[in-house]
Amino acid sequence: MKKRFPLLSIFLLSALSLILPSVAYSKDSEVVIGLAAPLTGDQAYIGNGVLQGAQMAVEEANSKGPVFGNTKIKLEPLDDQHNPTQAVLAANKLVSNPDAVGVIGHFNSSCTKAASAIYHEARVVQISPASTNPKISRQGFDTFFRVCATDDVQAPIAAGFIFSKLHLKKIAMIDDQTTYGKGLADEFEKKFKALGGEVLLRNGITQGEKDFTPLLTKIKSIDPQLIFYGGVYPELALLIKQSKKVGLLVPWMGGDGIKDATLIQLATPEHSEGTYATMLGVDPHSLPEAKDFVARYEARYGEIGSFSAYAYDATNVLIEALRRAGKKDRETVLSEVKRTKDFPGIFGKINFDANGDAIGKSVGIFKVENGKFKFLEEVKPID
Amino acid sequence: MSAAFQLFLQQLLNGLTIGMVYALIALGYTMVYGVIQLINFAHGEVFMVGAYLALTVITVTLSVWPGVPFGVLLILLFVFSMLGASLLGATIEKVAYKPLRGSPKLTALITSIGVSFFLQNAVMLLYGSKEQSLPEIIPNIQFHFHRISFSLMQTIIFATSISLMFFLAWFVKNTKLGKAMRASAENGEAAQLVGISVNKIIRVTFMMGSALAAVGGALFGLYYGSINFHDGYLAGLKAFTAAVFGGIGSIPGAMVGGVLLGVFEGLGAAYISSEWKDVFAFILLGIVLICKPSGILGENLPDKV
Repeated sequence: MKKRFPLLSIFLLSALSLILPSVAYSKDSEVVIGLAAPLTGDQAYIGNGVLQGAQMAVEEANSKGPVFGNTKIKLEPLDDQHNPTQAVLAANKLVSNPDAVGVIGHFNSSCTKAASAIYHEARVVQISPASTNPKISRQGFDTFFRVCATDDVQAPIAAGFIFSKLHLKKIAMIDDQTTYGKGLADEFEKKFKALGGEVLLRNGITQGEKDFTPLLTKIKSIDPQLIFYGGVYPELALLIKQSKKVGLLVPWMGGDGIKDATLIQLATPEHSEGTYATMLGVDPHSLPEAKDFVARYEARYGEIGSFSAYAYDATNVLIEALRRAGKKDRETVLSEVKRTKDFPGIFGKINFDANGDAIGKSVGIFKVENGKFKFLEEVKPID
Repeated sequence: MSAAFQLFLQQLLNGLTIGMVYALIALGYTMVYGVIQLINFAHGEVFMVGAYLALTVITVTLSVWPGVPFGVLLILLFVFSMLGASLLGATIEKVAYKPLRGSPKLTALITSIGVSFFLQNAVMLLYGSKEQSLPEIIPNIQFHFHRISFSLMQTIIFATSISLMFFLAWFVKNTKLGKAMRASAENGEAAQLVGISVNKIIRVTFMMGSALAAVGGALFGLYYGSINFHDGYLAGLKAFTAAVFGGIGSIPGAMVGGVLLGVFEGLGAAYISSEWKDVFAFILLGIVLICKPSGILGENLPDKV
């Protein structure tokens, strides 16, 4: 044992010498941006797409040189496992870092909502790429922003599409009882009923549950024309598959949470055929302005995730604010984000209203055809 | 038959199907509890590993023999996931629980939670965190009786589960090993005194329980078509509930408990509300524990975890 000590001490010393300079320099050479999303767990796939979008924005910014002075940006991934408790832990971890000035996230509305109070308290600016629940921005937190449309925009458009375009008047509804899923379904139901449609049945399910045959058998007996689902794709894949097995052969529709290629893979292309989804904005593939971005992204990471472009936009808004702020100060960065005007994002100009919601975001409608989400039309919200 | 009654029978069938899977997992909980009075919380994870083994067997077989008849594939995947899981069960027992034999029960209980986390994360690292889909290898054949439909997949679940349960009952009752198992469960020290190697019995129990859970996992994966590394958690919890419900330590109790739990859940979700589906299982457990603490078919043993 004794013989090992010299070796060990050499190792420790050299390790120490590696750490020391970075400690000394980190004081003013780094500004930290958090990226909070479900990086593990059942939504890890979509969460990692968000991470990659943000990573690309940060790498591109850093390759152009320091954001100000000799400061570079460091992206810190925070995993919330789409669990609000983990989201709060992650938020606390980030705000306790004096180098952290902002966060991109979270992904799920439930997590964004839970963590938003912590960021607000710590004056850390938060830009969510994907949380659509309308209530989040109405908590009076001036630190909260988002680059996506909200469910009170998205859901009425879905309701109008089913009622007026598809001419379906009798539907059933299922939601996953989360902040996002229930909020989306609530907004949808309000509009669909106002249009004169009839909701024959509305029921909730639990995330992580696998067996939905009892509920689907019940729905089959009331014979709806379509089923609207408020929730995220893993459960919908099972719902679709099991609905065909119990002989319930109606189309499904959902919001942005289901518009992911994994849905089709899990539910099989055959069964998911004809499923509708609304998405916040259009398909980046269909935009000539986004062509360059999509090509760069796909060369680096492979197929683009449903929310990668939003994460890229949100990160760039924050980086731009950092550049204008010119110093590592949370209040200054926050006021610069507020001052964002006509920022050139992938899906058009980004502006925030007084609540921090993105203004004038359009909604795209997609349908699964031949095993792929096909872009049908773009709907501009009417305010 | 009235439409409402047909619907009821359909829901009953749905509940029975998932109940069979619960029963298969519950058997492992109850058998292990029987011999070493340990609630093995890693058991749900063994079930999940079973599903992943089935996925692996399907993927490998289909790549080397694309036109394999589904019956052959089914036998292959059962055999391999049972073998793999029993090996895993034996390893867990040897590495995690055997060194703790004789230490307070809580120590082993907490260790089992640790093993459960380890297995979850190991599978996540090996297969990725994304939901994995299993190819549909069972032809989608539906049998109809009036308006009640029953699929080939459900038939396979029933046939496999029931035959395994009968086999287990026969094994425990009639074979030498089974008798030794019962003796060890009755009184470990006395069993040792008459020349039974209790350590060996414990190992065999773990292996058998794991093999049953793996079959449950394979059936679960095939039935729902997608699996995830944390599927073992909820399924394990439900099966544990089923085992306690039926009377922990009792083999027929686990079978009855699992099947009843599936039926209650199914009917509750259909006739009350699907939002409360998980709650039914635990309400049921609460009621049974208050009215008959030893479970439906359990014996009144003085010791509790």
